[in-house]
Amino acid sequence: MKNLLAAALVGMFSVLALAAEPSYTIAVIPKGNTHEFWKSIHAGAVKAEQELGAQGIKVNLFWKGPLREDDRDQQIQVVENFTSRQVSGMVLAPLDSQALVAPVAIAAQAGVPTVVIDSELKSDKQLSFIATDNFKGGQMAGEFLAEQLGGKGNIILLRYQVGSASTEAREKGFLDALQKHPGLKLISSDQYAGVTRETAYQASQNLLNRFEREVNGVFCPNETVTIAMTKALRDIGRAAGEVKIVGFDSGTQSVLDLTNGDVQGLVVQDPVKMGYLGVITLVRHLEGKPVERRIDTGVSLVTKDNMAQPEMAALLAPPIADYLKE
Amino acid sequence: MNLSSGTLFRLLRSGGPVLGLLLVCGLFSLTEERAFIFTGGNLKNILIQTVVVAIGALGMTLIIIGGGIDLSVGSVVAFTGVLAAKLLVAGWAPWTTTLALVVVGGSIGLLNGAIIAGFRMMPFIVTLGMMGIVRGAAKWLANNQTVNAPPDSPVGQLMARVNPTEFWPLPPGVWIALGLAALMAVVLQKTVFGRYVFAIGANETAARYSGVQVGPVKAATYAISGLLIGCAGLLQMSRLTQGDPTVAVGLELDIIAAVVIGGASLSGGVGSIPGSLIGALIMALLRNGTNQLGWQTYSQEIIIGMVIVLAVGLDQWRQSRRGG
Repeated sequence: MKNLLAAALVGMFSVLALAAEPSYTIAVIPKGNTHEFWKSIHAGAVKAEQELGAQGIKVNLFWKGPLREDDRDQQIQVVENFTSRQVSGMVLAPLDSQALVAPVAIAAQAGVPTVVIDSELKSDKQLSFIATDNFKGGQMAGEFLAEQLGGKGNIILLRYQVGSASTEAREKGFLDALQKHPGLKLISSDQYAGVTRETAYQASQNLLNRFEREVNGVFCPNETVTIAMTKALRDIGRAAGEVKIVGFDSGTQSVLDLTNGDVQGLVVQDPVKMGYLGVITLVRHLEGKPVERRIDTGVSLVTKDNMAQPEMAALLAPPIADYLKE
Repeated sequence: MNLSSGTLFRLLRSGGPVLGLLLVCGLFSLTEERAFIFTGGNLKNILIQTVVVAIGALGMTLIIIGGGIDLSVGSVVAFTGVLAAKLLVAGWAPWTTTLALVVVGGSIGLLNGAIIAGFRMMPFIVTLGMMGIVRGAAKWLANNQTVNAPPDSPVGQLMARVNPTEFWPLPPGVWIALGLAALMAVVLQKTVFGRYVFAIGANETAARYSGVQVGPVKAATYAISGLLIGCAGLLQMSRLTQGDPTVAVGLELDIIAAVVIGGASLSGGVGSIPGSLIGALIMALLRNGTNQLGWQTYSQEIIIGMVIVLAVGLDQWRQSRRGG
């Protein structure tokens, strides 16, 4: 019994000794786990971890999404649990610009700083906001679609999900660009795809069932919607450039669709950079250095013609495997 | 005195869930993260995260003991949450809002119960239908978007985590849940109505021949559960500071799991309020602990799934040994 106690004490001290070295525990909290986009963010965070490790700053990374994808309450629980865990800091992609405000404020109160990435949080308690300018990305998609259609045609915008700030900004940017082209007529813009590939696929099929003959161009504000809409158009034999599709974000399937000519353009972000800068910025702050309040990670438009260029290729197929063991 | 010794006896009788809770605590205390998991601040955290499931489990316990099931509760939480945000935005006082939610929740429950008892329909089917109807109605009421409650409303304080690193003070939501639990335990154990519910769940035909008004009693279990779900909706809204029509999808399954881990039998006649509360706590603790251990999300889902099967399996084994 005494031996056991002694062993336990030795164990505890060795843990304390470990903790005494300069090291940070950082929780990275995505919106979900299954999208390839989040894997790129994860890869970026791991890249930062490795680089910092090479500089002698030890970072212990936690990667943890909400238990149920896109469930606000579950994400709040994750934030609360890491606050209790007293991590050095959090990198958070908030599922909702409002619902996550209080948990982040409480984390700050408990001494856990948060860097917000990807989607906006309506709060001033975060350390920094690192994201794509989604409005600009939406405008870029609108201009490209107008160019593809020669400024004339019927357009469908299949929205993603209520309350998702990043996709709503893209949708707004897209509609803003359309206004400059009076020849483009918006025939549907009030339908939502929902969060899974299945719901998005059904929504696409239903929309196409109604607008099959009229539609000339489609904008899909994220990876799931792009893949689902492309599949639905292919099903009815109207893909392959007949109906022009502009999507947002890239994944294995949507890049394949771009190569095959079913998708004309993809507006892509740089999620690896987002995850990377999220961790780097947080560590800079923890080291007592000043950080920028807003960092734009940029958008690019990838088409079949430019997709082979090395910088585009890196955006389309982020080097996830270099950083994550699958 | 009589009441408190009776409560103690029932706590002991619901030994399975208590053992389960101790087992989970024991496992987590073997890890280095125990220094974070077993802190006052985190225990408060776990309690707050349990509140909505726990209140839902109170009504569900009643329904399951009576031999029924209610799949619509997640949708009703979303609907009443949206309604709460809407009413507060429209300038209703917090207590009239609460009253309205309880009435609306109760009415939906009563409707469920009336259809089930009146037309002798399967509860599974009726409440499955209601799940869709109420979810759709929630989205309709919310105009397909989240409804933000007024930021300065006192309702927002119900689930607020004041003083995050300490156990005290617990937010009002936790006390509300405990109060409702005590009330429901008394209703179930000390009233004629409670005895009738057990009798119907154990053997409906026998209960009917003994002169129990089976239909009204059954309908009442759904209505009472609905009243409670109205409260849960308010607390869910308070937690998100917004009415979200897509919240609590699948909540009914968490609630049913909590009740079953707590020792209730889906074939009716068996179950207890303390057991269900502990069931809810076990699930929240598992989620919280694996979270802090940095385990992957999928491992949590697998573990919670295994716990459900194990808990029920062990309980049946215990019962059969006692019986034989």
